[in-house]
Amino acid sequence: MKKAVALTALAGVAALTLAACGAAPEEEPGAGTTSAAASDFVPCMVSDEGGFDDKSFNQLGFEGATKAADELGTELTSVESASAADYKGNLESLVSEGCDTIVTVGFALSADTVESATANPEVEYVLIDDAADNDFDGQKDAENIKPLLYNTAEAAFLAGYLAAGYSEAGKVGTFGGQNFPTVSIFMDGFKQGVDHYNAEKGTAVEVIGWDGTDGSFTGGFQANETAKTTAKNIIDQGVDVILPVGGPIYQSAIAAIEDSGREIALIGVDADFYETDPTTQEIVLTSILKGMDVSVYEAVLAAGQDEFDAEAYVGTLENGGVDLAPLHNFEDKVDPTLVEEVAALKEAIIAGEVEVTSYLAE
Amino acid sequence: MTAATVEAPKAPEAENRRIAPVSWKSAVTLGVVTALFAVLLLVAPHAGDARFALSTSGDFFIIPVIVVPAMGTAWGCLVLAALAAVGAGLFTARGLRTPAWVPGVAAFAILLGFLSWAAAGSPRDLSIVGLLSGAVLLSVPLVYGALGGVLSERAGIVNIAIEGQLLAGAFTAAIVGSLTDSPYAGALAAVLAGMLVSLVLGLFTITYHVNQVIVGVVLNVLVIGLTSFLYSQVLVPDAATLNTTTRFPRVGIPLLENIPVIGPVLFDQTIIVYLMFVAVGLVWFALFRTRWGLRVRAVGEHPLAADTVGIDVVRTRYNALLWAGAVAGLGGAFYTVVSLSQFNREMTAGAGFIALAAVIFGKWHPVRAALAGLLFGFASNLQSVLSVVGSPVPSQFMLMVPYVVTILAVAGLVGRSRPPAAEGIPYVKG
Repeated sequence: MKKAVALTALAGVAALTLAACGAAPEEEPGAGTTSAAASDFVPCMVSDEGGFDDKSFNQLGFEGATKAADELGTELTSVESASAADYKGNLESLVSEGCDTIVTVGFALSADTVESATANPEVEYVLIDDAADNDFDGQKDAENIKPLLYNTAEAAFLAGYLAAGYSEAGKVGTFGGQNFPTVSIFMDGFKQGVDHYNAEKGTAVEVIGWDGTDGSFTGGFQANETAKTTAKNIIDQGVDVILPVGGPIYQSAIAAIEDSGREIALIGVDADFYETDPTTQEIVLTSILKGMDVSVYEAVLAAGQDEFDAEAYVGTLENGGVDLAPLHNFEDKVDPTLVEEVAALKEAIIAGEVEVTSYLAE
Repeated sequence: MTAATVEAPKAPEAENRRIAPVSWKSAVTLGVVTALFAVLLLVAPHAGDARFALSTSGDFFIIPVIVVPAMGTAWGCLVLAALAAVGAGLFTARGLRTPAWVPGVAAFAILLGFLSWAAAGSPRDLSIVGLLSGAVLLSVPLVYGALGGVLSERAGIVNIAIEGQLLAGAFTAAIVGSLTDSPYAGALAAVLAGMLVSLVLGLFTITYHVNQVIVGVVLNVLVIGLTSFLYSQVLVPDAATLNTTTRFPRVGIPLLENIPVIGPVLFDQTIIVYLMFVAVGLVWFALFRTRWGLRVRAVGEHPLAADTVGIDVVRTRYNALLWAGAVAGLGGAFYTVVSLSQFNREMTAGAGFIALAAVIFGKWHPVRAALAGLLFGFASNLQSVLSVVGSPVPSQFMLMVPYVVTILAVAGLVGRSRPPAAEGIPYVKG
């Protein structure tokens, strides 16, 4: 009996220790010696629930911030949030750690970032993928936040055009995690691209899963059976290109593609799936890139050199903040003239000759 | 003595007879739902044809796509549902219990009417096979979880930890399945993981009499924390060897799989799905037709009485709890060796809690709980299929459908749900 109690206590302590490992700021003193100019600048970052290994904005932002910190000769202090309840506490602990610049990730952290920024006007904040405008007055809610935004509709437009040209079935599909603007912007740009192709070529390629205002959503960002049946229902309609938008739900789409036994191409989002997830190499047509690593890197670097400006950054095709990934394995499966058309379309969008509408386009 | 005993109970018996044996609940619910549907049709008429596809290419014979005028069908279904509601009212007014087929007919009519309304004017076919087969797959973890819940709760242990058992099963199946390259080994490991969670639950609740709800909640948090931590620290860096499973292949049952509609839905599945149907029957048989089941139910209802007649309460509870963990763990394996070929942080996404709800509105009965899980899976897939076909209902609203259906079913159609009497009460041998 006594032994069992002791064991239980031990297990409890172990669990607590493990939990502590997950949440505590990771600091490795002494690592800065590799760099020539060691600096006292303290860059920090807090993730949302997805964690720094989400193969999406947390991970890309983390990579960018780490790179900037290395170059500045300092160490990135990072905290992973296990749940939405941790955001506020994590931000507070980073502020008390003496952070100069705090990178926060996503829509979900927006409100807490604004609160923390208002309370600590001397700290600089970089908010990835959200305008920090929670009262919807068109202005960001705190002066010391730099929002990083990405007009992915432009790159998705290219992907839509490419998909429409590639599709033999004349049907392409898309679905999202939840109907957030940062998710639907992909789906909407994709549909605009398909529509543009139809207008140019006189074809009638159909988009399944997004009708211009609403579409198919799984209700969450978990890769599970819900996302898989959503993908399957779209595949059952006969599509041969599918664009899943939202963190890991593409893995469910891949399983659904395998089960269907048909040849269906996948379009990736955020990062180049061909590079970040080698298991997708056989089926990924292209990826819609969102250059979060680069923009976070630039923002943190600027902050470290005392050149922080809180002006909102909007990634576009023009400044390279969004782009379309190379075709890799699909290079010889896609008609070269289509590839040229896509390249020309990119120039036309940059030049403003073709208009892509989205909530970020002025 | 005999005269007295014959005389005495008469009064209460007569009183009992006067209590209405049937309630108006089902008639009222049917009426309200029918009225809501009528309002929907009046406020938002939706012209055009609805297209239903019933066949897949492998069937014995191909049923052509059925095209029906949407509003006509919807109104027809509404009339049928209204008749069923009136019928239920008549049965109740006469003091008769409404037979089960009446709400069944109404539910079917309203569903069909709703589908025609929602699919109206869309050029795309609404695949009935896709709707049903997706529903079965979505409900697999729920049914396994609910069976696990029934087993442990019948023995008097509140099983809040179903979520943890599912997640532990999914996680272990991913690792073992990847290392051995065998989905069978993965499924077996998932069973053991579920049992391990059960064992911890049992240790605290049965042996140390800790509050069962609290231990269950803590276990869920523990499993979520542990799996998420290990996922990012161990699985992600070495995903190719530790987190890439071979999935169970689908095995069609010859001949049966070629029957239109039912074939592809029920007889072209993986072994985990077939096992689910077997498990529902087995759990029912074990609980209600064996000595073991009688003992389990006895310790769940009145452990003191069970103890008095020589049943080892602690042992029986542990036994039932371990079986519960095994079943729920197997359900967890579904995530990583049937559905996907890898584990993801918190991938069960609350399925364990839905399973818990299924236990309650299945009235702690394995078959009813399994049906409740199927209902939830069906409602989930309904929203997905309709959004693909292009329904006029906003997606955010459609995502609520499974929960609304569950609430309606629990509140309206299921009668009083009575838990096992000794559930949640630790047994302290006095």
